[in-house]
Amino acid sequence: MRFSLAAAEGARRHGPFWLSLVAGMALWEIAGRNADAAFLVPLSATLSRLAELAASGVLWQQFASSAALFLSGFALALAVGMPLGLLLARVRTLRVGLEPYIMILYATPMVALIPFILSLMGFGFAPKVLVVFLFAVFPVLYNTIEGARSIRPELIEVARAFRSSERALWFDVMIPYTLPFTMTGVRQGIGRALVGMVAAEFFLSATGLGQLIMVAGQNFDTGGVFAAILVIGLIGVGLMRVGLMLEQHFARWRH
Amino acid sequence: MHAMAPQQTGEARPAVRIRARNLGKRYGALEVFRGIDLDVGDREILSIVGPSGCGKTTLLRCIDGLLATDAGEVLINGEKVTQPIAGVAMVFQHFGLFPWKTVYGNVAYGLKMAGASKAEIAERVPYFIALVGLKGFENAYPYQMSGGMQQRCGLARALAIEPSVLLMDEPFAAVDAQTREILQFELLRIWEQRPTTMLFVTHSIEEAVLMGDRVIVLKGRPASIAETIPVDLPRPRTRETLRAARFAELREQVWSTLLSEARAAEFQLEPAR
Repeated sequence: MRFSLAAAEGARRHGPFWLSLVAGMALWEIAGRNADAAFLVPLSATLSRLAELAASGVLWQQFASSAALFLSGFALALAVGMPLGLLLARVRTLRVGLEPYIMILYATPMVALIPFILSLMGFGFAPKVLVVFLFAVFPVLYNTIEGARSIRPELIEVARAFRSSERALWFDVMIPYTLPFTMTGVRQGIGRALVGMVAAEFFLSATGLGQLIMVAGQNFDTGGVFAAILVIGLIGVGLMRVGLMLEQHFARWRH
Repeated sequence: MHAMAPQQTGEARPAVRIRARNLGKRYGALEVFRGIDLDVGDREILSIVGPSGCGKTTLLRCIDGLLATDAGEVLINGEKVTQPIAGVAMVFQHFGLFPWKTVYGNVAYGLKMAGASKAEIAERVPYFIALVGLKGFENAYPYQMSGGMQQRCGLARALAIEPSVLLMDEPFAAVDAQTREILQFELLRIWEQRPTTMLFVTHSIEEAVLMGDRVIVLKGRPASIAETIPVDLPRPRTRETLRAARFAELREQVWSTLLSEARAAEFQLEPAR
């Protein structure tokens, strides 16, 4: 009795999710079977092409290449965005001076900068890392500044009353308070970094999953195109979940 | 175990822990207080009472060294105060707990800032958590706790550094009336166990009389000491104290000093800007 109630509750909550997913997959399958293979192939054909790419090792090789690019660019964005954000929150002159540039760069579609980066740095790994970095750094930076600035002055006073050093003020007060805000930036930055990764792989030297899409497209291998897109989409969903978990973990002291 | 014993037993103790001479403070054109002289003896509790906005909290911050004074000087344990000094702890009206730290982490904070070793922290923190009645809540975050529990935590954080001087900034003003009464007697119980020099700022006349060995009444703009009233109620003070005839007399005495001031304060307009 209790078990069937729980099952019913589960079906009520998760039913629409799975139903919608199955319907979407069925729709893709039906549309793919009735469309020209140059535009769209069914889900089954996409999955079998994906299996081929996995078996041949091409998928893993390109995945590893993309992952290296993503992680390098994102790590750099975090390593620069968080300390710089804290510094700008604490030093007013720097913040006011740099604010216009940060706002302009945050608002500019980064894709527009790619030709400039290409002519400046060429086709190597470094310019691609720069693109991913530029896509990801601003949400991290911006959220860190806003977070660090919102700390209650009373807490700074408590730290002073307990004779905190400047170093301890950073490590025991400023950073733990700001981390949940930075993690919101990380979650937003992850999505942007993924866009940056594919853009860099398209418009600079073709590598990774971006290259997989381009080559498949040029060879009229529609199944390959969709297989690569599916992988990138799934990575995106997975990374978003990781971002959300990070955010919730660091914000567990907030109600 | 030595950490658990009341501090300074057997040592020669200075007769005066806090000495302030001719203290004055102004914010631009606004003079907050002037000509404040006070001495607080070892293990003495001095209450400072005055209407809201009279500058008593500012005075306490000047004595702690959080704010600079414009005139006069403060000596604590003979040391001239220009910034917060070792051996002095403050309990705040807004509790001032770090929301990302648990009860344990908050109580450990002052010790950590004072440079205590991990072993010392592990020895002392549970003792002070138990002393304020928070045993079992070591891992709770501030947002999970009532105001009363949060201030118990704030008190434990201050007591944990075993201060020779405790500065209390309207510590019970932000909790409800019943909790306030409970916490007052908790503080008196803890003080009997670990007597410490205390400067107790409050706007509650009853609280000032209940806690203090003397009550200083601040009044005027700029504020100055209108009267110092010795409180000759016996210790330990308990709920019985509240029913004593002498308690009522003293309360009336403080009230009559404050009355004219409280009237004036009620009808005071903020100065035009």
